[in-house]
Amino acid sequence: MLAAYMHELSMASNIIDIAIHEAKKRNATSVIEVNLVVGKYSMLGLEQLCYCYDLLVKDTLLKNSKLNMEHEDGKIHCDKCKYKGPIPLKEELEYHIIFPTLVCPKCGNPAEIISGRDCYIKSLRVKK
Amino acid sequence: MTKIVEHKEDEVFDIELEESILKKNEDFAKKNSELFKTHNIKTIDIMGSIGSGKTSLIEAMVKRLKEKYQIAVLNGDLTTTIDSDRVAKHGVDVIQINTGKECHLDANLISKALEDMELDQLDLIIIENVGNLICPGEFRLGAEQRLVVISVTEGPYMVLKHPFIFMEANVVVINKLDLAEAMNVEFEKLKADVMRINPKAEVIGTSCRNDKGIIYVIGALNLS
Repeated sequence: MLAAYMHELSMASNIIDIAIHEAKKRNATSVIEVNLVVGKYSMLGLEQLCYCYDLLVKDTLLKNSKLNMEHEDGKIHCDKCKYKGPIPLKEELEYHIIFPTLVCPKCGNPAEIISGRDCYIKSLRVKK
Repeated sequence: MTKIVEHKEDEVFDIELEESILKKNEDFAKKNSELFKTHNIKTIDIMGSIGSGKTSLIEAMVKRLKEKYQIAVLNGDLTTTIDSDRVAKHGVDVIQINTGKECHLDANLISKALEDMELDQLDLIIIENVGNLICPGEFRLGAEQRLVVISVTEGPYMVLKHPFIFMEANVVVINKLDLAEAMNVEFEKLKADVMRINPKAEVIGTSCRNDKGIIYVIGALNLS
């Protein structure tokens, strides 16, 4: 069963390791909440992540803790015209698909992603 | 930097972290990248779908480049040495990295493989990632360039279905063009899809089986 969630399993395990490390550093006895920010353009499946998290927190300081997730939108930056803003989306009506593009919406030149790829722990709520 | 922002009397308090869960991988990737630079080694991370021709492309590239460069190939796969045996026949150093169940290579595995290599004697490392168009995009390995391989036999929608990995690539190879007509798939249409997602990418059509298009891939990677 776990093999189906390979990528999310290792990410959930990372989250728990970081939380335990930080909680112990401050002599906390348990972690009540983990507040996670997930970039819209990271490859993480959130349901799978929650599933793996619930499996892994058993018998740790994070037992019965809540994993809260907040989305972060993707942003691009164009070096040429200095545009900074949301990743433009294009629609392909024929296939009913909406896909992101790195084409700058202002000048048409290639742009770089500056946010929305990462996944990070914003904060933890712990009990002493 | 971590700081405590709140410490209530009831002894429940918040710790502000901003700690990336991908950071561990990014740190290893940075370390690998510095190591490659110190030893003046060019590196390419080859990603792509299962059966698209990643190993065939590497074989074709190695055949043409082994006189010019001292090459090592790192082959990532869940299990077996089938791919590395194919590449090793061409007389270059090959290291097999078996991920077990993981769907991608990560920078830590690469860094472990590098420990056993004579980096001073190499000028080109080609890394074959695990066949998958989803996860490898997320885990940078520290390679200087990233190349994605797909083939016409996977149908006409491969690019639009997996936009994220194409955003990560600087070269995209569309392989098995000798079968394009039979598959009723147009190279130009796939190329246009890549350009709509990532206008910076260079898109090359190949038929690795027939050794067609390989010089253009080598050119796009600035290896000629």
